[in-house]
Amino acid sequence: MRIFDLAVKDIRQIVRDRKAFLFLLAMPITFTVLFGIGFGGFHAGENADLRLPVGWLDEDNSAASIAMHAMLSQSQVVRLVDAGIMRNELMAQVDEGTVAAAVIVPYGFGGQLRDGDVIPLDLLADGSSQAGFSAETEIQAAAQRLFAAARAAQISAAIAEAHGVSADYDGALARAMAAWSSPPVTVYVTETGFSAEDQTLLGSANAFANTSPGMMAQFAIAGLLSAAQILTLERKSGSLKRLLTTNMSRNAILLGHFVAMFLIIFAQMSLLVLFGQLFLRLNYFSAPVATLLLITMSALFSASLGLLIGVQAKSEEQVVMYALVAMFVLAALGGAWLPLEFTPETFQRIAFMTPIAWMIDGFQEISVRGLGLTAIADSLLVLLLFSVALVGLALWRFRSEER
Amino acid sequence: MAQSTAIVATTLSKSFDELKAVDAVTFTVARGEVFSLLGPNGAGKSTTISMLACLLRPESGDATVMGYSILDDPQAVKACIGVVPQEIALYEDLSARENLEFWGKMYGLRGAKLKQRVDDVLALIGLTDRQKDRVDKFSGGMKRRVNIGVALLHTPDVIIMDEPTVGIDPQSRRHILDGVKDLNRQGVTVLYTTHYMEEAQELSDHIAIMDQGKIIAGGTHDELVTIVGEKDRIEMELSHSAPELLSQWGALEGVEAVSAENGIVTVLVNDSNRILPHLFGAASQHDVRITSVTIEEPNLEAVFLHLTGRALRD
Repeated sequence: MRIFDLAVKDIRQIVRDRKAFLFLLAMPITFTVLFGIGFGGFHAGENADLRLPVGWLDEDNSAASIAMHAMLSQSQVVRLVDAGIMRNELMAQVDEGTVAAAVIVPYGFGGQLRDGDVIPLDLLADGSSQAGFSAETEIQAAAQRLFAAARAAQISAAIAEAHGVSADYDGALARAMAAWSSPPVTVYVTETGFSAEDQTLLGSANAFANTSPGMMAQFAIAGLLSAAQILTLERKSGSLKRLLTTNMSRNAILLGHFVAMFLIIFAQMSLLVLFGQLFLRLNYFSAPVATLLLITMSALFSASLGLLIGVQAKSEEQVVMYALVAMFVLAALGGAWLPLEFTPETFQRIAFMTPIAWMIDGFQEISVRGLGLTAIADSLLVLLLFSVALVGLALWRFRSEER
Repeated sequence: MAQSTAIVATTLSKSFDELKAVDAVTFTVARGEVFSLLGPNGAGKSTTISMLACLLRPESGDATVMGYSILDDPQAVKACIGVVPQEIALYEDLSARENLEFWGKMYGLRGAKLKQRVDDVLALIGLTDRQKDRVDKFSGGMKRRVNIGVALLHTPDVIIMDEPTVGIDPQSRRHILDGVKDLNRQGVTVLYTTHYMEEAQELSDHIAIMDQGKIIAGGTHDELVTIVGEKDRIEMELSHSAPELLSQWGALEGVEAVSAENGIVTVLVNDSNRILPHLFGAASQHDVRITSVTIEEPNLEAVFLHLTGRALRD
C-alpha cells in the first residue's frame, strides 16, 4: 500500500511540474507532426516508385542485352537502377541491401544467344529474403522470355535463310520480344499482404508511421526527466534518508518510484497512440491487445531507464545530462528520426541493438502492416529483457549505497 | 531491558574508509528525558544517531531503542522513533498538509486517524492557517517546524533530532526549543544533537560531549561543570583605583582570587550570589563606586575548552 502512496505522491509532483507536461505531451505531438510533414505527411508514398530496386550492369551492350533491359524496365515488380558502377561495387550494394538484387549481362551474352548457346546472366540476390526472392523470380521470368524470343528469332532467321531470304536475326528478336507485350494468356495473382521485409524496402505511404512511434519512444525517455529528478531531489533534501527511517525497505522505495514512472509513461504513450489513431491515420487499434502489450513493455523499458538515471545521478543537472544523452543516442541509433529503410544495412544492424528500434518496429508491425501479437513477440521480449537488466542495475546501485 | 531506559548505546563504532567517525560510543538515555549530544561539526553526532535510526549499520557494538536492538530488530526500532533530520526533508512542491499526509501514510497511518493526527500536528506547529500553502513558500523557520511535525505524526516514544535549529532566525529557534520542552513534558524521550552549548544547557537533563568520534564527558550540566572546577568569575569596573579595597576583597571568605588588569578587576568566587553583597559593602566603606559588573558562571564551553584545548565552535 505504501508503495502506491509513494507512487501517487510522485505522480502528483510530476503533474504539477509544467515542464513535465511539455516533455510528456506537447513536444512529442509537435515533433511527430513536424517530422511527419517533413517526410511527406500522409502522401509520402503516393508518387514513389514502390518497385524493388535492381542494379543493372551491361557488359555486353548487344541487341539481346538491350532487349532484356527494355523488358525489365517495364516490370511491375522490379525497377532497374543503372548505377554505372563496377561489378564489385554492385555486389556490395546487394550485400548492404541498397538494391534487392543485381543483374550483370556478361560480355558475349548476345553473341552466344544468337548462336543458340546460353550464357547464364549473372544474377546476384539474397534468395532467402522475400525481396531478393521476388526480384530473382521476376528476372528469371524475363530471362526465360528473352531466351524464348531468341530461340524464336533464331528459328525465324534459319527459315528465312532456308528460303534464300536475307536473315534478320536482330529484327526477328525485336519482333519476338514485342510479342511478349501482348501475351495470349495473362495470369493475375493477388497477394494478400506484404511481408515485413517487403514493406521495409518499399517504404510506407504514411510518413507518420515512423515519426509517431519514433517520437513516442524518444519522448518517453525525455518525459522521465521530472520523475528521475524527484529521486535525486529526494536524496539531496534528506527525504530519502527520512523514508528509510520508516518501515519501508530500500526495494519498496525504489519500487514506489518505478510504479510512478511506469504509470506516467504508460499514460503518455497511450495518449500518443490515441493521437496517432485519431489524427495521423495510423491503425494502432487493428490489434488492440498487441498495442496494449507493446505500450506496457515500452513504458516498462522507459521507466527502468528512468529509474537507473534517478539512482545514478547525483544532481538535477546530471539527471538532465543522462536523460538527454540516452534520449539522443537511442533515438538517433534506433531510427526515431530517420526511417531505418533509408539507412545502410550495417546501421540497421546497430539500430536493432537498441530497444528503440524494436519499439518502433513493433508499432509499425501493428499500425502499418496490420499484424498482431505474433509479429511483435520479438519486440516485446527484447523490451522486457532490457527492462529486467536496467532494473537489476538500478537495484544494485541503490543497494550499494547502503553502508 | 529495564523499562526506565529508552536508549542504550553500547560501544557503537563506525568508520568511513580511513576515518573513524564514531569510536566505541556508550551512553544511556532514560525514558522521558532530553538527552543531548553536544559537540562541534564532525564530532560524530550525526553518525551516531544515524546508527540509532537504523540508517547505518555499526561495524561494532549495538544499541537498543525502547528495548529493541538496532541490529536484530530494526523494524521495531523504526516503529518507535521519529527522526528530525538536519536537512529540510520535505517535498517543497507539496503543501504542508500534503507533506504531513504523505509522511503519515509512510508511518502507517490511514483514514480518520491520519486526518486527526495531521490536524493535531498542524495545530502543534502553529501552521493550521497555512496548511494549504506550498512548503517552498514558507520561511526557513516554518519549514523547520513542518520538518519536526513530520516526526511527531505517529506519536513515537523517542524523537531523534539532528541539529534542528541550524540556520534559522532567533524567533523560530525559540519556537523549536519551546516545542522540544513541550514534547518532553508530554513524556516523549528526546535525543538531541547540537553544537550550540546554550541549547544543550537549556534543554537537557543529561548531556554527552562528543569530539572526534568519542564521548569525552557525560552527565548533568552541573556534573559537567564540576569537571572543570572553575569558579564564578566576577568582572567589575571601579570609579577609581583602590588597592586597599582589593586586599579586603581578597580576604573575604569564599573569594579565591582577585586581580586587576586594564582597569578591570576580576574576582574568582565559589558562589557569586552570596559574595556580591559583601563586595559592594566593602567598596562602599572605601568610598569606591562600582560602575559595572559582569558575572560569568562556568559553562559547557569552558568544559569543552578544558577537555580538548579547543573552543566548541572551532
